[in-house]
Amino acid sequence: MSKIITHETDLAIIGGGPAGLGAAIRAKASGVKNVLLIERSEELGGVLPQCIHNGFGLHYFKESLTGPAYTYKMLQDAQRAGVDFMTKTMAIRVDGENRITALNRDRLLEIRPKATILCMGCRERSFGALRIPGTRPAGIYTAGTAQRLINIEGKMPGKRVVILGSGDIGMIMARRLTLEGAKVLAVVEIMPFIGGLIRNEVQCLRDFHIPVYVSHTIKEVRGTDRIEKIVVTRVDQNRQYIPGTEIEFDADTLLISAGLIPENELSRMAGISMNAITGGPVVDNLWQTSTPGFFAGGNVVHVHDLADYASESAGMAAANAARYIDGDRSQDLDIEVAAGANIRYVVPNRISKLQETVSFYMRVTWPLADATVRIGDIYEKHFQFARPSEQIRIDLPTKELAHVHGQLIVSCEGERAV
Amino acid sequence: MKLKSFDVIVIGAGVAGAAVAREMTKYALSVAVLEKNAEVACEVTKGTHAIVHAGLSVNPLTPLKNRGELMGAAMMGQLCADLDVKYQRIGKLLVAFDETQVAQLKALMQSAKRLGLMDIELIEDRSRLLEMEPNLNPDVIAALHTPNTGIVSPWGLVYGLLENAQDNGASVFVECAVTGIRWDAEAQRFLLDTRQGPFSAKYVVNAAGPFSDKVAAMVGDTSFQISLTRQEKVIFDKNYQGAVRHVVRMLNNMGAPGDFICPTVYGDLMAGVEVKPTDDFDACHTTQPGIEEHVLRSSARLIPTIPASAVIRPFSGVLNQCAGTGEFVIRSAPQLPRFLNFVLGGSGLTACYAMAQYLSLEVFPTVADAADLKTRGDFNPCRKDMPHVHDLEPEELAELIARDPRYGHVICRCETVTEGEIVEAIRRGARSVDGVKFRTRAGMGRCQGGFCGPRVIAILSRELQIPPEAVTKKGPGSYMVTALRDDHSVKGEAEHV
Repeated sequence: MSKIITHETDLAIIGGGPAGLGAAIRAKASGVKNVLLIERSEELGGVLPQCIHNGFGLHYFKESLTGPAYTYKMLQDAQRAGVDFMTKTMAIRVDGENRITALNRDRLLEIRPKATILCMGCRERSFGALRIPGTRPAGIYTAGTAQRLINIEGKMPGKRVVILGSGDIGMIMARRLTLEGAKVLAVVEIMPFIGGLIRNEVQCLRDFHIPVYVSHTIKEVRGTDRIEKIVVTRVDQNRQYIPGTEIEFDADTLLISAGLIPENELSRMAGISMNAITGGPVVDNLWQTSTPGFFAGGNVVHVHDLADYASESAGMAAANAARYIDGDRSQDLDIEVAAGANIRYVVPNRISKLQETVSFYMRVTWPLADATVRIGDIYEKHFQFARPSEQIRIDLPTKELAHVHGQLIVSCEGERAV
Repeated sequence: MKLKSFDVIVIGAGVAGAAVAREMTKYALSVAVLEKNAEVACEVTKGTHAIVHAGLSVNPLTPLKNRGELMGAAMMGQLCADLDVKYQRIGKLLVAFDETQVAQLKALMQSAKRLGLMDIELIEDRSRLLEMEPNLNPDVIAALHTPNTGIVSPWGLVYGLLENAQDNGASVFVECAVTGIRWDAEAQRFLLDTRQGPFSAKYVVNAAGPFSDKVAAMVGDTSFQISLTRQEKVIFDKNYQGAVRHVVRMLNNMGAPGDFICPTVYGDLMAGVEVKPTDDFDACHTTQPGIEEHVLRSSARLIPTIPASAVIRPFSGVLNQCAGTGEFVIRSAPQLPRFLNFVLGGSGLTACYAMAQYLSLEVFPTVADAADLKTRGDFNPCRKDMPHVHDLEPEELAELIARDPRYGHVICRCETVTEGEIVEAIRRGARSVDGVKFRTRAGMGRCQGGFCGPRVIAILSRELQIPPEAVTKKGPGSYMVTALRDDHSVKGEAEHV
């Protein structure tokens, strides 16, 4: 007899971070009978249990919470709603017919849902992907791994630290390491501006007098067993090293905070079309992917600024998945949404059905002052500043879209601020 | 420390030492392998390109090496089958972009045929080339095809050889650098000083790779010198699995095989450049021109569809060969017939098994006591690799989880490596994060250990019963974490703002 167990359900959610939990709660609220959430880690919450700083929940719960508290509140809601959970359970294969192969300590499972919401989140760009010259000693971690080491495992990654990249986790770790007695020698950013949120720049770097080097990068890592030296250099506008600007740091540790990449290995297995810029699936305004029965929400689609928004977008996917499970597959529009001038990307990529509002999420390519965002010729909004680190969200009543045909270009006009 | 005595001591646990150790266990002799690092297979073997050459680069000045390459390529399939080591005979396309290079390919084919490589074909039909290698640069006008070229896991081969040697009675000692060797003429034995105390042996095999000239010098043998070369390489994301089917290689300026791109036995792709001389064994680092201007430019010229952004890891390997022609040195030290140098070099991975047999069956009998040539009746040539969940069929995996639930607990997400595999790797000798990584692939995938790193540290700590602070990346000095809030206070310093 086969030891592979078949598990049928209405809705499967892959990933139990803020997106997966948000999707599960909303799916139950939308009347889906059986919701199964699988999570590969030991605990639910994704990265949040290790995010012990506050600032989560301002939108979703209207209060400032730590990562663990945000997780706890969501988990309580999900449990009350009757969501089925499987932790330490990893999906290893997904096919276009909505069959999910997963394993845990008890068994190998084949999950057969009527619909699936992909909520796998994102991972950090690795040191290897940055192709930094030099040796490969111990002491190189991504900022998130270091965060786990300190906040979950109770260990320090090292004592004299250089951080490459000024993403939010990197800045938060600069503060965290300083509070735990390590010396953060430098935060090095290849762009001429900080990569994360202003509030983190102020609260984590400036308030702790952490030296910041914008328009700089790491030229070489040295050390045989453990990192001994990190050589930093200034770069020109084309990101080329400027000779003679090298600074050597006697560091024992290098943290990388150089961007997040949506985790879409499973999406690719399901044959889902991907967007090269976001690294996530192409989705419509229902958060449907190109493969029928597959929805996606949260950071697996594009990297959000806040966990709250990941929970919210996955929730929208869940509400639409509920309709799909009920047999409502109607589509009455076919508008392609494309990024225009100064817009790095915009989500959704397509509008396929008239609903009350469509939420557009976008990022600009460069910091702009006196910026005007335009959605086709039907809508515009003015911003004092628009920064790549701060996602712009615009909710547009769908009735505005009723007369749009073909393509909708989203663009931004403004003064380059850096 | 107590003296440890063996009949045969092999110095060095790379492919050369591992292959010799296994061959020597076919005799009824006690065999020990001494490795100076914390892990086996972690120097030249780790940084090599993993290609089993078919014998195209034969050179009349290196008869032993030619023999090793031709025979080794032919023997590798059976060896890897016996040892349950990943190996694929995928063939090589050595490509030409213009008529001059086509002439060079023809010259190479002629000389290879003269020296015994018959299985070789010049393909000038471009549509056939694109059929064989669909993503090949369409500017390629011809290619020399050697179907016998293969790919193997170099460290997997060492683990297989050594575990099989251990199954047949051999002992492996790590962190056991040899610091001195004396010949005791009266006792007719060698005495070796090591970091693990004194050893004695009737026969010593010097398989110390890049350090083999220094080891030979310990017994006064200065008959050969080692020269070093280095090679920069990159690994591309598994998303490009299948995008390259053969070892695809271009010619260098001298008309010899140069830069390459190929699949690995693990499903990712590797690109690298031809070796360059270096004089520093610690030159195991990558450089910006090496990776950006050389490796990636060449790989894009061979297979234009693979972008630089698909790199998950650049790395560099240092390789040794005997100075001069690069001919293998497999012979006794002058005046000390029982001190056997076993020094390979370029193509050492291909040749290791054939040359180990040459040493054990042709050289050893000329120096050994007749009584020591008795073979073991119970030699077992086969070894079973540990389970790799990633490679199992669903039914096999379900069975395995039912037997041991730890095989259902995924630790490394990118390569689907479970707790069961990591525990088994430690049982088989992994002592460090890299030891686990090379045995299981935990941390080798696209996130490069970002997720599994802390969990691997925790499992090593638990299984080895050492605190996490004592867990290392690759042996002493390469600690992974320190204690929270210890007394190691950090002094303020000049900040370059």
